[in-house]
Amino acid sequence: MTAAADPAQELARGADPRSRRTGGDVAVDISHLTYDYARAGVRALDDVSVQIRAGEIVGVVGQNGSGKTTLTKHLNGLLKPTSGRVAVAGVDTAGKRVQELAAYVGYVFQNPNHQLFASSVEVDLGFGPRNLGVPEDEIAERVEQAIAFFGLEAVRGQHPYRISFPMRKLVGIAAIYTMRPAIFVLDEPSTGQDHITTRKINELIGRLREEGSTVICVSHDMQLLADVADRLLVMWNGRLIADRPPRDVFADRDVMAQTKLEPPQVTEISLRLRSRTGALPALAVPELAATLEHALARPASGGS
Amino acid sequence: MQGVAVPVSMVAGNSFIHRLNPIAKLVWVLAVLVISFATRNPLFLIALSIVGLGLVTMAGIWRQFSRVMLILLPVATSLIVFQSVAPAFPQPWTPIATIGPFTIYQEGIYSGLSLLARATSMTIFALVMIMTTHPSDLFTSLSRLHVPYVLNFMLAMTLQLIPVLQREIGVVMSAQKSRGMKSTGFGAVIPSFVPVFAGAIERVQQLSISLESRAFGSSGHKTSYRQVAVRPVDWVVGIAGFAFLAVCIAVFLNTGALDMSRTLIFPPALAIVLVAAAAVLFVGFIASAIWVVIRA
Repeated sequence: MTAAADPAQELARGADPRSRRTGGDVAVDISHLTYDYARAGVRALDDVSVQIRAGEIVGVVGQNGSGKTTLTKHLNGLLKPTSGRVAVAGVDTAGKRVQELAAYVGYVFQNPNHQLFASSVEVDLGFGPRNLGVPEDEIAERVEQAIAFFGLEAVRGQHPYRISFPMRKLVGIAAIYTMRPAIFVLDEPSTGQDHITTRKINELIGRLREEGSTVICVSHDMQLLADVADRLLVMWNGRLIADRPPRDVFADRDVMAQTKLEPPQVTEISLRLRSRTGALPALAVPELAATLEHALARPASGGS
Repeated sequence: MQGVAVPVSMVAGNSFIHRLNPIAKLVWVLAVLVISFATRNPLFLIALSIVGLGLVTMAGIWRQFSRVMLILLPVATSLIVFQSVAPAFPQPWTPIATIGPFTIYQEGIYSGLSLLARATSMTIFALVMIMTTHPSDLFTSLSRLHVPYVLNFMLAMTLQLIPVLQREIGVVMSAQKSRGMKSTGFGAVIPSFVPVFAGAIERVQQLSISLESRAFGSSGHKTSYRQVAVRPVDWVVGIAGFAFLAVCIAVFLNTGALDMSRTLIFPPALAIVLVAAAAVLFVGFIASAIWVVIRA
């Protein structure tokens, strides 16, 4: 039997099949970041330190108000640290304007209505790269690529407000994609989406990974993160309380209870059967099926 | 994110003005409105404005208030400049000085100052009320006065939408800056305002559906969660507002609305300094506006 022939089999034997991408260079370096919303007198981030490497897909989870969005807003300079340091691609964000950082960090807002405005989807897709000073012929090329990548052919000439909300959400991501940032920040990409669009977003994140992009995804959708994330950053009360692979985080009952998070159903089932299967917790249906099959195929070890 | 929009919303506080009943404040705002239109005497109106600034101090809202008042500055300078050379006043005009090809008229300065002081006094009192009154308190108080519910609701909704829209403008500006939008001037208008207005229209549509589904406009006595007390001091302040209005009107009727257009003489030096300063500021505004448009 060759090693890593079947990820699910590997999992059943107690090894994590996810290739542990150590990634490339440090893409984001946050050290001792503290942020206060002065007007409200609220400390939203409290001494957060984390490094994210190029090509990683990182999920940010936590309850509402735990500091997830405040953290990600530091990446493109929308917020500047009260104390501590945030460096993106080696550049300290403190002295940079949002518009300058936009070339490195693409921030996809939760509500696409906040960013779309142009008379057609096509024009809107060209807005970002035009702001960055990309030549017109290359803009046209990038727009075509984005339309193909996101499957927007049918709506390319339509007004962004006239298309369905799930489609608009994709246009919102596509409008950042055309700017070719090295780092994508996705804020709740699957909120309010039907199953098909969520799957599509899932697939898109996978393809961004293949293209070498770094993706930082804030989400309450544990299944989405279980599917795509290499690491989860767990925020609680403005503090980073865990920074581990999703499998470890979901298996950590204390962290999950503290943040009132629940693992995906598949993982929960797998965790409850863990004493019987001996396998690592599954993150997806094929993994769970494989661990169960493996456990059932084992000769009964005496128990009834 | 901050400082994108001009905040014309309530500033939290616990001053005497904050605690005053909304109706008492409204009486004063309406009284000042009527008085400001009833006279053209700039000295009287400036005095009224100074009283208003005293209220701003009492309420402790100078920082937010002065940001809004900055908007009046271009209006102020243009009023002084244009009125002084072409007064909106019956002829004959008395020339008092000349700057290049322009002749400054006595009546022009009078007219410019009075229009400016009129706008200023009304704005100050209105802002003091808006910035110290929770919209819901105003709403509750007005319905106790049997103001028709729909009218009352329209007023309250308008006031409540201001902070909502301001927050929305902040988010949209952040989103567009994240897409590399460089300009904050003319070039930013379409990308920032289309989402805000489209959002506002959508919000209002949803609001109307939600209102109807909660039986908006059905008959019967409306109750309110918020209770606004009417203390004796509120009565005193409210009645004082009416009394002030009545006294002013009586004085105006007996003195020709305190008309001093022919008796208040401006020394030429003062007129030149005033008009020159206003002109420099005004040209500065125009130039900076053009520069912002070109840069965008």
